[in-house]
Amino acid sequence: MSAIADHLPSGLIEPKGMAFATKRKVFLVAMAVPVVAYVLVVGIWPLTQGIWYSLYDYNLIRPQRTKFAGIDNYIEIITDPVSRQALINTAIFTFGAVFFELLIGFALALALWRDDRFNRLALALILIPVTITPLVVGLIFKGLLAADYGMIGYFLAQWGLTDPRGLLADQHAALATLIFIDVWEWTPLVALILLAGLKALPSDILEAASVDGATGLQKLRIIVIPLMLPAVLLALILRTVDAFRVFDTVYVATGGGPGNATNTLMLHAVKQGLEFFNIGRASAIANLTLLIIALIAAGFALMIRHADRKANGK
Amino acid sequence: MIAELAPKFEAETGATVKVDILDYGSLLTKTTADYIGDTEGYDIVTMDIVWAGEYAENGYSVELSELIERDADEIDVDDIYPNLMMGLGNYEGQQVAFPFAGYANVLAYNKTRLDQAGLAAPTTMEEFVTAAETLTKPDDGLYGFVANGQKGPASAQDWMQYNSEMGGAIMGDDGMPTLNSDANVGSLKVYRDLFRNSAPPGAAGYDWGGREESFRQGVAAMMQTWSVGAPGYYNPEISKVVDDVAITTAPHSGDMAPSYGIGGWGMAINADVSPEQQEAAWAFIKWLNSPEIHKEFNLMGAGSFLRKSEMTDPDLLEKFPFLPVLAETFENGNYDYRPRIPEYPQIQDFLGTAVNSVLVGDADPKEALDTAQAQAEELF
Repeated sequence: MSAIADHLPSGLIEPKGMAFATKRKVFLVAMAVPVVAYVLVVGIWPLTQGIWYSLYDYNLIRPQRTKFAGIDNYIEIITDPVSRQALINTAIFTFGAVFFELLIGFALALALWRDDRFNRLALALILIPVTITPLVVGLIFKGLLAADYGMIGYFLAQWGLTDPRGLLADQHAALATLIFIDVWEWTPLVALILLAGLKALPSDILEAASVDGATGLQKLRIIVIPLMLPAVLLALILRTVDAFRVFDTVYVATGGGPGNATNTLMLHAVKQGLEFFNIGRASAIANLTLLIIALIAAGFALMIRHADRKANGK
Repeated sequence: MIAELAPKFEAETGATVKVDILDYGSLLTKTTADYIGDTEGYDIVTMDIVWAGEYAENGYSVELSELIERDADEIDVDDIYPNLMMGLGNYEGQQVAFPFAGYANVLAYNKTRLDQAGLAAPTTMEEFVTAAETLTKPDDGLYGFVANGQKGPASAQDWMQYNSEMGGAIMGDDGMPTLNSDANVGSLKVYRDLFRNSAPPGAAGYDWGGREESFRQGVAAMMQTWSVGAPGYYNPEISKVVDDVAITTAPHSGDMAPSYGIGGWGMAINADVSPEQQEAAWAFIKWLNSPEIHKEFNLMGAGSFLRKSEMTDPDLLEKFPFLPVLAETFENGNYDYRPRIPEYPQIQDFLGTAVNSVLVGDADPKEALDTAQAQAEELF
């Protein structure tokens, strides 16, 4: 011990009780406790409960008939024609909506790439649909497309372009119409994300390509699209996850009909859980939806990392 | 309107009444959660007629028989239609709720258009179908008939009404579902043909709002409906048929006795709340359903009738000339055409999909009802 230390109170040199490193650890753990507790209470606990409930034939209206059902609730999602249809509809809706949103969104982003006053104004205007609540969007389109009085639907039916009952009451057109509505609302968001990606592109590479005589198409194929991959994947992940759990627009526009033509997994889960109080079945549907979304998100996240590494030449 | 009346009760008794106004779906979800969680959120709950079985099976509410017997004179029980007392609150001997809003299924029709076509108000389903076809003139935007076609409770409930009038039934005598019986398949064919031949093109997507609007705007000439909507036909602010509308009893197949549908709401007292709260809740129910207040309630346009004396009250009759039709329906009505069993919500859902599928041409009646029957059987 040094000479100075000889004159200091011993407590300052050797803390009583725990060592400093231990104290630090305890402090950090204590700081993390609220967050951990929060995650446990609002995340892990309900999730565990949901998994537990999904293993039971459990209906709140008939709690006395509760019995262990194993994975029956999950099997029934596939074997029950209504659940199966909902799963298929959700997949078609997600794929169709995201595909067109990405395609049109990319075209829009390219069109708005140049930074001038017109494009800034156009961007502000095309973002309006994103600001409207999906439930209200569903109600607006339901009104617009009604064959009897809708500003669009009436004329479409009169001119023989749609079923006389209207697009949303036609079992062959209803799901496609809902995809159109989703594309109308969310394409601007995709365009915005992609535009941000475009603006972040290094201009020197594009200028060098121009000097070397590359055509616009070549620049798009060889430079823009590969460098834009992280932004594209980000847009994909956001929209896919959101489209897969679509509920409000469908709920008010068609209620899942006609027949089961537009019934989606979330609609089916809400009906089972909050209308029939069939908690076991609803939990199974919710868990399956969560699993599918998690897998999609993980897949895209891996692709983003891969694209990032490639873009950075690693 | 209950919220508007509540302050009057508060002034008279000193009690505090907080009214929570919810849509149908939220009401069912929130109150069921309240009962199951024993959270005592509500003292009184308005109970749809079709929830009676669920209430009785689970003991959600206070059994009211003794209270009704105790206060029979004060309530003037004999003035309340027995069909409403039973249908809106009694399930297999248990009085789970007290009736407060009786709805009668009636036929609303555009008298002017029927007169122009030389038709009288139909009394049988056969006459109804013929009149609907006669009154349909698509080129003029006029149709003879409108009903709910939207997937879900809307189409299920309307079809069940027509089904009952044509001799069909949802449950058999053995307590098991009979959704695909010959009578039901037959009535669904008639319902489908009415939509095909006589309804506005968009009717397959109508719920109650669309159906009522179609009638009030003069597009559809005939509509079976709950009497609660009737005051609206006489309101010039929302109706174009104020001078044309007439209301009569619902038609039925010519070879059977009338089967008038009864629906509506009862008030249930939460069994979880303290005896003091239960007694206070009972006091409010008695007050709201007293002849004087219930009349005021209906003069406000509630369309929720209950008492025999209301049917002959000059003030109410002046405002609502259709009351004798309601009296006839309440006297001879059928409150079980929609089965009031705990499994009703699911059965209604299966039917709502089946009926809508038929109306949009996705399935034929037999095929659709076979599917619904198979689904319903799994519940029992």
